[in-house]
Amino acid sequence: MELQLGLALPSNPTSKAFDLNYYGIEANSKEVDHVIGPCYTPSYENINDIINIDNNNNNKRSFGQAFENSTRDRVVPRTLPLLLWNNNRPNEEDDPKDLENHSLFAANKNVGDGDGVVGWPPIKSWRKRLCHENQVVRAWNNNLMVENGYVCGGRRASNSMYVKVKMEGVVIARKVDLSQHHSFETLTDTLMDMFRKSCEKNSNNYKLIYQDREGDWLFAQDVPWRTFIRSVQRLKLLKSSG
Amino acid sequence: MKMMMGSSFPEEVLEHVFSFIERDKDRNAISTVCQSWYEIERWSRRRVFVGNCYAVSPAILIKRFPDVRCLELKGKPHFADFNLVPEGWGAYVAPWIAAASSAYPWLEEIRLKRMVIPDDSLELISKSFKNFKVLVLSSCEGFSTEGLAAIAANCRNLRELDLRESEVEDLNQSSGHWLSHFPDNYTSLVSLNIACLNSDVSFTALERLVGRCPNLRTLRLNRAVPLDRLAILLRRAPQLVELGTGEASDLRPDVLSNLSGAFSRCKELKNLSGFWDVAPGYLTGVYPICPRLTSLNLSYAATIQSSDLIKLVSQCQNLQKLWVLDYIEDLGLEALAASCKDLRELRVFPSEPFGVEPNVLLTEQGLVSVSEGCPKLHSVLYFCRQMSNDALRTIARNRPNMTRFRLCIIEPRTPDYLTLESLDMGFGAIVEHCKDLRRLSLSGLLTDRVFEYIGTYGKKLEMLSVAFAGDSDLGLHHILSGCENLRKLEIRDCPFGDKALLANAAKLETMRSLWMSSCSVSFGACKLLGQKMPMLNVEVIDERGPPDSRPESCPVEKLYIYRTVSGPRLDMPGFVWTKDEDSALGLS
Repeated sequence: MELQLGLALPSNPTSKAFDLNYYGIEANSKEVDHVIGPCYTPSYENINDIINIDNNNNNKRSFGQAFENSTRDRVVPRTLPLLLWNNNRPNEEDDPKDLENHSLFAANKNVGDGDGVVGWPPIKSWRKRLCHENQVVRAWNNNLMVENGYVCGGRRASNSMYVKVKMEGVVIARKVDLSQHHSFETLTDTLMDMFRKSCEKNSNNYKLIYQDREGDWLFAQDVPWRTFIRSVQRLKLLKSSG
Repeated sequence: MKMMMGSSFPEEVLEHVFSFIERDKDRNAISTVCQSWYEIERWSRRRVFVGNCYAVSPAILIKRFPDVRCLELKGKPHFADFNLVPEGWGAYVAPWIAAASSAYPWLEEIRLKRMVIPDDSLELISKSFKNFKVLVLSSCEGFSTEGLAAIAANCRNLRELDLRESEVEDLNQSSGHWLSHFPDNYTSLVSLNIACLNSDVSFTALERLVGRCPNLRTLRLNRAVPLDRLAILLRRAPQLVELGTGEASDLRPDVLSNLSGAFSRCKELKNLSGFWDVAPGYLTGVYPICPRLTSLNLSYAATIQSSDLIKLVSQCQNLQKLWVLDYIEDLGLEALAASCKDLRELRVFPSEPFGVEPNVLLTEQGLVSVSEGCPKLHSVLYFCRQMSNDALRTIARNRPNMTRFRLCIIEPRTPDYLTLESLDMGFGAIVEHCKDLRRLSLSGLLTDRVFEYIGTYGKKLEMLSVAFAGDSDLGLHHILSGCENLRKLEIRDCPFGDKALLANAAKLETMRSLWMSSCSVSFGACKLLGQKMPMLNVEVIDERGPPDSRPESCPVEKLYIYRTVSGPRLDMPGFVWTKDEDSALGLS
């Protein structure tokens, strides 16, 4: 990536600023926009009309004026598209949100408020946990009731509990409806079937891990099904060695 | 202290007169009259509220007010509730407790919000203040049941222990459950709120505690206390005014009738909450007390659907406050509007906040109905998926007495669903008609224009929350230059940058705090602001590494600016930068 566009270089030039790796595991496209993207002053056609001029002391410049003068020297000119790399990203196997490393225990609290934006909608964490639990339990109850011959009266509430599943080495992620499962056997069978075309036939070559509410990655088989179903956020199938 | 020349009243008389003046604003005012009034006032101030724990230091507080009995502190910014403030940012109360333990031996009440309090501090509290009565920990963290055990064991005069929404670590103690640390001769409990505890509670200890405290008015249990046990507790404490139930998933007729009986014996019960996983059948047990209820929190009750909710609220003619999930739907809110003419506060929370499709029939219509039917409604928090300018205008005209209006349209930047325009006009109507509006949260598609309305009409506005809104710095400028009474401003994901901030720098000293995250404020502007405004702490919160390793024009991740008399704080973590003494590099 080259930057030979007549930059007004900052006083501490460093190539670190443009090194994607520097931003570590959480760089997604949104972050990058902020970091490298709009290093320009937004349009201010009207602001000069409304900035308060300090009338009390005509010799002093107001903040607006002071800032105007200094930014001319500092700000990178608008014409510089510093987003080149953002638009032609090299072939990424993972979508931006999955740039986290695959360390099993990478606590990643900010990612995945239901795969949405961090902290939105503005609900406290414990309420979010409650919502998630309730969703799962409802899905369970509804399916159990259907199994046992009860009819769930016409509620519009969704019964399904889709979570994202990624298989190591496979580009496209899938989604699986956990409410249809009551044990790890049926789940892994279904998952292997989903990824049948993309992976080795033998399910013993893969280990199932899941990300819990706290953002930690755990081995699915290590916990009882009930614990798993109450806190699972997403799934991954890792190739097991040996 | 000598009597000052020219003063016609002896100090004792003045002190007595001042004892009737309770509001901070008023006490601040009288302290400016003259030196002797200042002195008398400061020696007699018993209640202190510090809205931002970093705005002042313990030493400064103690120096001015040497005999405080009730201390209230708030720590992290509000957006910490939604995980926007990284872990380890600050708000440590330990230094305050340490200072108070020697300076205020007669301290009776400590109220904390969004602060970190370790077990050591709880132990120190329990041993330092002989007359300690009230401990309220709201959205706090850092402590465990060990700390609670110390409070229980040592605070002989404790009246109130309220852990609302705090995160408490449960440590299995071999010495027994923390509740059993209350001594057998301890009988002064008035209020106990342990609803946030995740773990089991020793029911025997709880029952004995409840049984021997005749003044118990408030009891909020956690999920782990099953409904059949609840009846036992109620029989021991029929004088309860406020109750939070535990879990109640299996419907059993004997438990239900037991419960009904117990409830009907609680003649004072006015405030109900809890109802986790409650089987709808149990609600019939509550019917007898419905007409007495003034406050009902059903926002944890994900198992109760619209029809049961309607049956319930229709019997609560004296309801003033309702917190509920959106299962209530528009139909339920219509019933609410028809039955609960005394309603003052309504909060409707989303049952499936991350679902893309609506799962319930709750729209803007529900809120419109309530605004029409409930003349005293003045405080609203409403999550929904669609809104229109028409509806907002109607609500504004119906309820000019609105003081707190927080609307969250779940999908960011959602336009008026009827016209596909922005919701500028709708919110404009709110601020224009509701002249006493003190708190406002915006959502939906909004341009700079809405901020022009807010700046023009929001003269009493004290707190404003903005997300995914506006077009340019003009928006921010309107707020900062127009809202005269603004104290707290929190902004996320808006295209607001340096200009408006720097042009209105002086305004920031009149406010408690400003939070901006995912906006366009450059590090250079932050440095400039920090340099020029010594009475402000400008904190750059950036987890990407040192801000000076990027161009100065690059926007910072998060920015927290607050006024302070105690200079930059000394407990900043690695991801927070602020001016240092010589402000050369702006590194902490």
